[in-house]
Formats: sequence, structure tokens, C-alpha cells
Amino acid sequence: MNPALQAWSLYARATKRWPALAALVPFIPVVALWWIVAAAGVFPRAFFPSPPDVVRSFADLVYKGILPEYLEDSVARLAVGAAAGMAIGIPLGLLVGLSRKAHAALWPPLLFFQAIGDIAWLPILLIWFGFGLATMTFVIVYTVLFPVVLNTVLGVRSVPVELHRAALSLGASKPRILWEVVLPGALPNIITGLRNGLGYGWRALIAAEMIVGTSGVGFLMFDARRAGSVVEIVLGMIVLGLLWYIVDAWVLAPIERATGQRWGLVTR
Amino acid sequence: MKSLAIRNLSKTYFDAYAGAHVDAVRDVSLEVPEGEFVSIVGPSGCGKTTILNMVAGFIAPSSGEILVGDHAVAGPGPDRGVVFQSFALFPWKTVLENVAFGPKMRGVGKPERERIAREFLSLAGLSHAAERYPNELSGGMQQRVGVARALANEPDVLLMDEPFASVDAQTRMTLQEELTRIWQERRSTVLFITHDVPEAVFLANRVVVLSKGRVLEEVDIPLPRPRRWDALVESDDFKALANQVLQLVRSA
Ligand SMILES: Nc1ncnc2c1ncn2[C@@H]1O[C@H](COP(=O)(O)OP(=O)(O)OP(=O)(O)O)[C@@H](O)[C@H]1O
Ligand SMILES: [Mg+2]
Repeated sequence: MNPALQAWSLYARATKRWPALAALVPFIPVVALWWIVAAAGVFPRAFFPSPPDVVRSFADLVYKGILPEYLEDSVARLAVGAAAGMAIGIPLGLLVGLSRKAHAALWPPLLFFQAIGDIAWLPILLIWFGFGLATMTFVIVYTVLFPVVLNTVLGVRSVPVELHRAALSLGASKPRILWEVVLPGALPNIITGLRNGLGYGWRALIAAEMIVGTSGVGFLMFDARRAGSVVEIVLGMIVLGLLWYIVDAWVLAPIERATGQRWGLVTR
Repeated sequence: MKSLAIRNLSKTYFDAYAGAHVDAVRDVSLEVPEGEFVSIVGPSGCGKTTILNMVAGFIAPSSGEILVGDHAVAGPGPDRGVVFQSFALFPWKTVLENVAFGPKMRGVGKPERERIAREFLSLAGLSHAAERYPNELSGGMQQRVGVARALANEPDVLLMDEPFASVDAQTRMTLQEELTRIWQERRSTVLFITHDVPEAVFLANRVVVLSKGRVLEEVDIPLPRPRRWDALVESDDFKALANQVLQLVRSA
């Protein structure tokens, strides 16, 4: 057999066995290019570290316990923000989606405040709450909240009127319809809102940590800038991307596969 | 099982774009005695869906009244089962859960409602698909689930709005034969809406021809049962009745 084909079949079998491999392979050219440019010595090493430098810095920061601690702080803030954003956002979205009056009263302010993005709140929050956890929590909850609310409203409204009617003529009460029809029907949109909210929230959190933080991945990167350590900045950037990949691939995507995709509500 | 009575029913829509009133249903009176199968036929836009939606309680009449047994209709309720043209199955529930939905809403416990659902699925010839999701079924199978789901809730009256309009011709004939068989077994009170004349004649004890929101004529269908297409297509009685109804619809 042709050796290229043979290699391809080997790759196909390997990625089938270890799906994570398929996610890593696309990065090989990126890392290779980075390595070549770094090794060519076009830029000073302190300005443009090579992959082994970053790996060394990673090992170093893990050994000192700084990276795990900061990572934990950032992830915990994201988790709290996401939980609070969902706890407020989903019920609010259901209300606005289902009630004409609530929609008339709340939709314009929702659109208005959505436009004042996360970071735009920082100046006034710093005056009100100072440099601290309260400011950071506000920013992240705020950022997660709006995509969740707006997408939940969209989801509620996307449930065909026929399904409401079917449930009513099968004897369902309003609260049962909320649970049995509206919520599952809106779920694909709610997950989309959550994905957007977490994505924006993650970025907003890092930005907030840079400005107000005393810990966290954003603080790590900004602190590294003060120390002139480009390698730690690059490491921080890689950690951001990796962490998001994990949240998406290990948390959001499986939920989507088990719900909207399974039910044929969204295309695969 | 109960009778259905429609008395002097009218519906005027307000068309906001045109800024005009549309008289979709005008002074319709109609009786469906207990255990009888009545079809309503008429050209597109003559008000069939509007009537059914009022009977189901989805929209309010402008005037007139609707009685199920001796109970006046005021909104949707489990006494009137509905089979939709678009199937309207819950995509997030398996076939079994869809059929068990009505009993679940009545507070029937899980083992009992699943037993009921399986019984009606087997009546619809779908026992093998119980654990599947609706999007994994063909259109014909989905509508069988729709019928089973409505029947499993033991409604007093069954309402069907062009339930077989979106399946292919062969499947439609099979579904029609299955429906007459099920109706004969269970003797439900059925109001069936269609614009397909042979379908209306094949299924019903009586066909009501609708024209521009009014009842044009009622035609009794005394064809023997069980009804099967291979026998009826040859039958002169069937042809004569279908022809009579067709002439009425075309004059409508
Ligand atoms: N929500 C509405 N607002 C305004 N006019 C309406 C509305 N729904 C229906 N109509 C009008 O009422 C008339 C009857 O409509 P209906 O849907 O009952 O007809 P139909 O007999 O079911 O037709 P088809 O065979 O095409 O389904 C039509 O002229 C239609 O345009
Ligand atoms: Mg119609």
C-alpha cells in the first residue's frame, strides 16, 4: 500500500481511539512555525520566547504553586459568575419571553444595558466598590447575564405555538407547560446564550483581573508585564485558550449532543 | 365519549395589514352525535381550520357556542384531543413519553401511564419505535404517534385538521385505513377536517361541505364498514358519493 495512505489510515484509527488527538494535531503547524521563528533568532529571546521556554516557565510556575492558585481563582470567579448569571438570566428570559407585559417593560432596558459592555462599567464600579472582588463579580455576572437572557427570550419565542396547543389540549397546566414544553424547547438557545455568555465573561474576567485583580490568570499576565517577562505573558495566553477549549469541549458540547442535537432541533 | 354541538358559530378576524375585517366563519351549526365520524371539506380558505381551532378552544369565537356533551367550551382542554397537520410532537420526548403525556398530566403514575402508552402504540402499530425520538421517524410514523397520543388521553371528542396532508399518497391511504379500523374499534366522536374529497368520503359517516365560511350541504355516507381502499375504489356507491361531494365542493 501507498505509505501516505497507510499513514492516513493509522491517523484515522488513532484519532478514533483518542479523540483528543484530533484536537491537538491542528496545532502542530502553529507550534512548529512559532518554534522555527523563535529558533531563527529574528527577535531577541526575551521578546519572543520559544515553545521550550514557555514549557519551562509553566513547570516553574506550577512548581511554585502560583499557576494552580491563580487558575483556581479565575475559574472559581467564572463559575460563580456563570451560576449567578444563569440563576438570574434564565428565569428573567422565561418571564420576558412568555409575558407580553414583561416584554414591553423589560426589553428596551435590556437592550440598552446590554450595549454598555462589561469593561465600560469598570470606571464607575471602581469608584463605587473599589479594587476588589465586588467589582470583579459585578462585571462577570453582568457579562454572562445578557447573552443568557436575550437567548432565552429567543428560545422561548421559537417554541412553535402548536406545541403549546398540543400540551394544553392534553390537559397540561401553565406551570407544567413551562417545565415540559417551554424550557426544553428553549434549551438549545439557552445553551447558545450560555456559551456566548461564558465566552464574553471569560474575556471580561481576564480584563477585570488585569485592572483590579490581586490574583488570577489576568493578574498573572499583567504582573508579568510589569516584570517584563514575555514568557509568562505567552503562557497566560495559552492557558486562556486551553481552558476555554476544555469548557467548550468537555462541558458545553456534551450537553448540546445530549439535548438539541439528539432531538433534531439543531443541526449537527 | 360525548357528542359535539356547534351552534351559530361565527368568527371575524381583523386583518391589521389590510385594515379590514374577514368573516372566516359565518353562522355555522353542526352536530356530531356521540360515536360518529364527521368530515368537513371545502376549498382552501373556507374556514375549516378556524372552526377546528374554535372547537379546540385555541381561539375564541366572535359569536355562537360549542358544546361537548352539555358542557360549553371555553378554552383548550383534555376533553377534546387534537391531531395536528404538523404532528406537533414534543421533540425532546421519546415516542413513548409523547404518548404518555396526557395521562402524565392527569397524574397517572409512571408504570401505569407507560402501560397505557404501549397499548396505544401497539394500536397504531408502533410498538417497535417506543424509545425513539420523533426526529428519527418518518412523517407517517410521526402522525401515527400524533393519533396515538391524542387517543391515549381518552378524549370525549377527537379533532383532526388535515392530519395526513403532509405524507405521501401510499402512506396516506394506509393511515386512512388504520384510522377507520381504530375508529371502529373505539367508536370515538371525530371531527375530521380535510380538503381531500375521497378522504372525507372514505372516513366519514357524514360529510359537511363548507363554502366561504358557511355550511353548504351535509351528505350522509352509508358505505359499509370496514372500509378498505382496494374494495372501495371499485365501488359504484363510493364513486357516486365522492362525485356528489366533489360537485358540491367545486360549486363552493
Ligand atoms: N389570524 C388570522 N387573521 C386574519 N385572517 C385570518 C386569520 N386566520 C385565518 N384567516 C382568514 O380566514 C379565512 C379562513 O382561514 P382558515 O385557515 O380557517 O381556512 P382553511 O379552510 O383552513 O384553509 P386551508 O384549506 O388552506 O387550510 C381565510 O380567508 C384566512 O385568510
Ligand atoms: Mg386549514
